[in-house]
Amino acid sequence: MPTTRGGVAAILLACLAVWVAAPALAQSDDPLGVGRKMLAEDNPGELWIEQGKTLFYQKRGPKNASLEQCDFGMGPGKLEGAAARLPRYFPDTDKVQDLESRLLTCMVQLQGFDRADIVKRAISPGGSNGSDVEALALYITFRSNGMTVNVSLSHQKEYDTYKAGEYLFYRRSGQTDFACVQCHGEANKRIRLQDLIHMTDKKGVQEVVSTWPAYRGAHFVVRTMQWRLYDCFWQMRLPELKYASDASIALITYLHYQGNGAVITVPGFKR
Amino acid sequence: MGKACLKWTMLGSLALIFAGCATYPDPATTRQMAEKMVSEDFTAPAPALLKRLVQDKSQQICSKIGDAKLTQEEAAEVVKLARASIQYPASGKLVGNWKIGDNLAHDGAGDRIQGGRLEKRKENGGLCQNCHALAPGEINVGNVGPSLTGYGLQRGNSEAIAKLTYERIYNAWAYSPCSNMPRLGATRHLTPEQVTHMVAYLLDPASPINKR
Amino acid sequence: MAEPMKIRATLQGDVADVRILMLHPMETGQRKDSKGQVVPMHFIQSVVVTHNGKIVLDTQWSQAVARNPFLGLRVKGAKAGDKIGVTWVDNKGDKRTDEVTVTPAS
Repeated sequence: MPTTRGGVAAILLACLAVWVAAPALAQSDDPLGVGRKMLAEDNPGELWIEQGKTLFYQKRGPKNASLEQCDFGMGPGKLEGAAARLPRYFPDTDKVQDLESRLLTCMVQLQGFDRADIVKRAISPGGSNGSDVEALALYITFRSNGMTVNVSLSHQKEYDTYKAGEYLFYRRSGQTDFACVQCHGEANKRIRLQDLIHMTDKKGVQEVVSTWPAYRGAHFVVRTMQWRLYDCFWQMRLPELKYASDASIALITYLHYQGNGAVITVPGFKR
Repeated sequence: MGKACLKWTMLGSLALIFAGCATYPDPATTRQMAEKMVSEDFTAPAPALLKRLVQDKSQQICSKIGDAKLTQEEAAEVVKLARASIQYPASGKLVGNWKIGDNLAHDGAGDRIQGGRLEKRKENGGLCQNCHALAPGEINVGNVGPSLTGYGLQRGNSEAIAKLTYERIYNAWAYSPCSNMPRLGATRHLTPEQVTHMVAYLLDPASPINKR
Repeated sequence: MAEPMKIRATLQGDVADVRILMLHPMETGQRKDSKGQVVPMHFIQSVVVTHNGKIVLDTQWSQAVARNPFLGLRVKGAKAGDKIGVTWVDNKGDKRTDEVTVTPAS
């Protein structure tokens, strides 16, 4: 995936077309902040919410079934607030699952899709129309918009997974000697012009867990948390993180529990 | 695990009583579980590349969780291992060509793995611009590491400074154990020759980084 | 193509603040794909905005406009309940029209 070179400035040029008259915006000393606010108010990612909704209720796959019977933790078909409580333990699979791995489970079990096939196309190419998984993940999370992240640890596997995620967050390896904390452990840091979220800080990690899935400006498609973790390992010169793997679920569990109390606002807007 | 059923959580919240006595696992159990994930949940185009996930002794020591601190003994060991790792170029010349170093310092690409392929180019980028301010007036620079603007102006370019600079780039942990900076030479991300060019870029009075 | 647009039209006094999100590849015809083949031009050439059927904005676009473009405009003399219509046509002759009702400021 290409990395942008101009940060927010490039996104402003890329996404804004002609304004007939200057919009009335709050005066700000922070021009980048003004730009970010404009992008957040009119986010192309929103165009995938309808697509996700259609895909959710559509009968699809070899079993010709919709996802309406999928249990995201609050009972089959109950979406309101479900994403806010993920990841969590599921008795039917006997494991802790995040939103995307749970979506995978349902697409396989309810709709009869082939798991390897979904995984292969879960992350769409930049500039494409996006994948069904990306649209579905956005729609399902969108159904928890405005609600607070509320991950609880009660099952033993939830405790185990949380701690494994914490361990992985601090685990340094590879020729960069990086763990997540090397870039995300301090305030006001950035790589080139890309701000680095301070994830060992409450507000920072809350921002992380409440703004995915997000429209990735440079790719012109909606990206998910699974993609975000994958991309970090790519930059760290490490091998490829398997989609919806236990390692990915562990990191997501750690981050979401740390981010409890965040108000979900998707789609986010990322560079 | 053999823990008592009644227990305060590590966050100091109220004790919760469950029929199954769920609680945080001990560090050894966590380590075992997480390392199993590391060994199973990554792919690479070649088995050798998977070894990138295997931690060396220093990385294990430097993977402190949360507020855990590095002890003096651990710091000393990391420094000792780092010093021992330092290799100098065959020519013995520690200061190379600053123009090559300038390119390398701004190059953030190389050696990444994606879609089953390794991003192999003629050489790996130095990644410096990602984290450090370099020549004055450049905006597109990171701040994860300290600014290097005026590095040579401030220190001169004596043999001693050249050696120190070379060693810091080759293996930063020889001076700052468990620093956030990658041990670029020691991990073979950069060759000794490449490091000499970076040294020149930092020290040479003609280098843009030392522009007044 | 021709996916639905997302249009918001909010009244501020007697001015409707209209914000339009469109889904379109906006290919310039300069880009090459991973196999080195040029990706053909495919971009929106005209955008027309109407207020209760009357044209208030008639634009011609070029390849300079980015993928998944955003258009914002303010329409004077609007009232709650008025219709704002947006139509785009691209160089392949594909078109899309969507309409919304002006809503009062919340």
